Amino acid sequence: MRRHTRRIYGICYRFTGNRTEAEDLAQEVYLRVYRTLGSYRSAHGGFATWVTSVTRNLLIDHYRRSKRDRVTDSLDDKMAVVENKESAGRRPDEQALLGELSLQVQNALTKLSPELREAVILRDLQQLEYAEIQTVLEVPEGTVKSRINRGRIELARILQQMGVRPA
Amino acid sequence: MTWTCDLIEARLSDYLDGLLEGAERSAFEAHASSCPDCAPLLASVRSLVREMHAMEEVEVPPRLVYAILDKTLGPRETVTGWQAFLQVVRGMATPKFAYGAASVFATLVILVSSLGFSFRNPKLADLRPTNIYHNADRQAHLVYARSVKYVSDLRVVYEIQSRLRQDENNLQTTPEEVLPKSGPEKAPGQTDDRSPSQPRQQNRANEVSRQLELLAAELPLMSGRDIR
Repeated sequence: MRRHTRRIYGICYRFTGNRTEAEDLAQEVYLRVYRTLGSYRSAHGGFATWVTSVTRNLLIDHYRRSKRDRVTDSLDDKMAVVENKESAGRRPDEQALLGELSLQVQNALTKLSPELREAVILRDLQQLEYAEIQTVLEVPEGTVKSRINRGRIELARILQQMGVRPA
Repeated sequence: MTWTCDLIEARLSDYLDGLLEGAERSAFEAHASSCPDCAPLLASVRSLVREMHAMEEVEVPPRLVYAILDKTLGPRETVTGWQAFLQVVRGMATPKFAYGAASVFATLVILVSSLGFSFRNPKLADLRPTNIYHNADRQAHLVYARSVKYVSDLRVVYEIQSRLRQDENNLQTTPEEVLPKSGPEKAPGQTDDRSPSQPRQQNRANEVSRQLELLAAELPLMSGRDIR
């Protein structure tokens, strides 16, 4: 359960950029999984892929319902991101730089359109394979590749506009 | 195929994800390295992807798991009073807990006994710190004295065994010194005034008894006590 919770919460947080919202959404995801568990078939791919699909669908529903993040400027959100503490090997200055960059990338992510954002999150932050992303998004492979590519380029341009250049 | 800037942009992720091979990859690199627009774009997207792959997973708040359980399975019932006490007792009624409690109890019994407390004739005075100290000191000295005596007894036993073994070895290696001499001049069945010849077994028994007498004389000195 903890493994799935980590993935679900991670996707929700990366998509919304808001911790409280991500917590609420993760709970909603589990409720939906709990209610629709009977509809899970192995044809959907692995259980993790199916859970990711449920998460993605709920996020899109939430996005359409609220439409709030289309006008929210996430750069004003100074919420601190508590990252995993598995980075003991890095120097403090490197860690600080990485933390700052992560925050800026997170802020830039919320400026992407939801279609590009979810593709980039699944590929580059959740490290899913193209085939898994195709199953989750229910779109052809070409569309997956195109969205990931456009998302990355768009994100790089947003970061440049923000004056951020990842090392 | 002519690689234009649009094509480079369209295949940028294919290149970064290693999906371009052979001639396509070479042509991509040739254009991207020489084009003033594509080179910085490639560099910035490449570093962005590297940065995102290095980003660590967001830590899940501990309360989230409980919130999820509450939401899916319903809130947990809170019990108070006797029910809570019974729940605790039920939780302790496991073999693991019983084994643990038994081992702790046995350890305590051994510890208290070693400090001089008698369970057959318990006295409150035995639990005073000064008495506990004196009893522990007495027990320690007793244990030390017993172990010294035990080692000393062992030494005596080993000494006897080694002497007996040594004596047997001596008898086996020099039989001619022990055997009686029978002169050629003496006729069979005749005797003279000299001491009669002794059998070999008798000779060994005499030697052993002589050694034991010697040891018996030394024993009080070696064990440090009188033997009666």
